[in-house]
Amino acid sequence: MGRRFGYFFRETAAALRRNGLVTFAAISTVFISLFLLGGSLLVQKQVDLMAGDWAQKVEVSVFLRDEASQGEIETLSRKITGMPEVQQVFYESKEQAYDRFVDLFKDSPALVENVSAESLPASFRVKLHDPEKFAVISARLAGEPAIDTIQDERRVLNKLLAVTGILRTGAQAVAAIMLIAAGGLIGNTVRMAVFARRKEIAIMKLVGATNWFIRIPFLIEGMVQGLLGAGFAILGLFVMKVLFIDPLRSQSLFGFIPWFGTSHILFTVPILLVAGVLIATVASLFAMRRFLEV
Amino acid sequence: MIKTESVTKTYKDTVTALEDVSVEVEKGEFVFIVGPSGSGKSTFIRLLLKEEEPTRGAIYVAGKNINTLSSWKVPYLRRNIGTIFQDFKLLPDKTVFENVAFALEVIGKPKHVIQKRVPEILTLVGLGGKLENYPDELSGGEQQRVSIARAFVNRPLILLADEPTGNLDPSTSVEIMKLLDRINRTGTTVIMATHDNAIVDAMRRRVIELEDGSVVRDQARGVYGYGT
Repeated sequence: MGRRFGYFFRETAAALRRNGLVTFAAISTVFISLFLLGGSLLVQKQVDLMAGDWAQKVEVSVFLRDEASQGEIETLSRKITGMPEVQQVFYESKEQAYDRFVDLFKDSPALVENVSAESLPASFRVKLHDPEKFAVISARLAGEPAIDTIQDERRVLNKLLAVTGILRTGAQAVAAIMLIAAGGLIGNTVRMAVFARRKEIAIMKLVGATNWFIRIPFLIEGMVQGLLGAGFAILGLFVMKVLFIDPLRSQSLFGFIPWFGTSHILFTVPILLVAGVLIATVASLFAMRRFLEV
Repeated sequence: MIKTESVTKTYKDTVTALEDVSVEVEKGEFVFIVGPSGSGKSTFIRLLLKEEEPTRGAIYVAGKNINTLSSWKVPYLRRNIGTIFQDFKLLPDKTVFENVAFALEVIGKPKHVIQKRVPEILTLVGLGGKLENYPDELSGGEQQRVSIARAFVNRPLILLADEPTGNLDPSTSVEIMKLLDRINRTGTTVIMATHDNAIVDAMRRRVIELEDGSVVRDQARGVYGYGT
C-alpha cells in the first residue's frame, strides 16, 4: 500500500503544479463561496444571540420608574394580570435584570464592570395571547404613575430578524451560486489533468489498471482544491472576526451587543470542510465520468 | 484460449468491420491475422481486449465469455493479455525502466517485485544496458522491445500484437519477430495482425486472412497470400 500512496501523492502534486492558474481560480472560488456560506451561518448565530430565547418569550416590556412606590407597582401588577389579553406576566427586579445582563455579556467583562444593579430598571415582562394586541395594552396602561416606558419587544425583534434574514438569504444564495461555479472550475481542472495525461491513462487501461486506481489521483486533486478553499474560508472568517468584530466589543456603542465568538466559528468548520470536499468530489467524478469509460 | 463464435461488428448500423467471424486459437499457438487495411484486423484485437463490444456473437478468452464480463472485471481480463502496437505507445517522459515498471505499478505490484522483474525482462529483450535511457534516445526497434517488455513483464497468457513491425525496417522486424517467437515458445499464445508478407512467409505459422471483415482463409502453416 505504501507504494500506492506514494504514487497517488506524486501524481496529485504534479497535476496541481501543471494547471497552476486554473487551480488557483478553482480554489479562490471555493474560498469565496464557503466564506459567504460561513458568513451567513455566523449571521444566523448572531441573530440568535441577539434575539435570545428570552426575547422570544416576551412580547411587551413595561419598564418601571425608579421612584415608583411599592403601592403603585402593586396596582400596576394587578391591572396587567387582570387583562384578558395577557397570557403570562412576571416581574423582573433590578437584581434579576442585572443577573441576566451579566449572563448576556459574560464575554465583555469591561461592560459588566460599568453596570450595577442600581442602574438597571425593574420591569414587568408580559406575554400576550395575541402578540398583535400590543397597542391595546399600551393604550390601557398609559398614565400609570409607576411606568417609565412600554416597549414592544417583538417589533424590535422583527426588524432585526427582517434585516438579518435578507442578509442571510442573500449571502446563502450567492454562496450557492459560487459553490456551483466552484464545482465547475474544479471539474475543469480535473478534466484538463485527465486530458494532459490521456496517454498514461490509455496505457494504464491497456495493462489492466482498475478504474478506481486511475481515478483516485484525479479525485484527490479535486478534493485537495476543495479542502484548500474551505481552509482559506475558515481562516478568512477568523481574520474577519479579529479585524472587525473584536474591536466592536470594546466600543460603547456596539459593545453591549453579544457578538459571536471563536466557538461559533469552530461550529462552522466541519460544515465548510464537508461542503468543500463534497462539491469537489461530485465535480471531479462528474468530470471524469466521460473520459474514463472502459 | 481464444474462441469467437459468429462475431459481427458493425458501426452505426451501416459500416461492417467484422462479419460472422468464428475462429478458435489454442493455448500456445502463434497466429497471424492478415489482410489489407480496413479488413477488420484491428477491430478483432479491440474486441478481444473488450475495448469494444461485438454487435452479435460470443467471444471467449481463457475460457470466459467476455461479452457478459462486468465492466469492473475488464482490468483483470487485460492483465492476462499483453498488447503491443505499431506506434509503441511509450511514455516519453519516463525512462525505459519506468515505462516497464509503470505497467506493474498501476496494477499494484509491490516495489520489490518491480525492482526484480523489470531488469530481468529488459535483459531478456536485449535492453539490459539501457534502463535509464528515454524512449527518444532509442531506435525504433529498441522502442518496440521496450513495449514488448512492458506487455510481457506481467507474464500474460496471451500477447496481442497490432502491426508491431509496421514502423520498422526489414532487418529490425526480423529481430522483433525472433523475440515474439521466443515469447511464444514460453507457452504464451501470440496473435499478430500484420500486412508484412515477408514476415508471414518466413515464419510459416497459422494464418487467418480477413477480407472486408470476413475470414476468407484459415491455414495451418500459411503464407501471406495465395500464389506468392
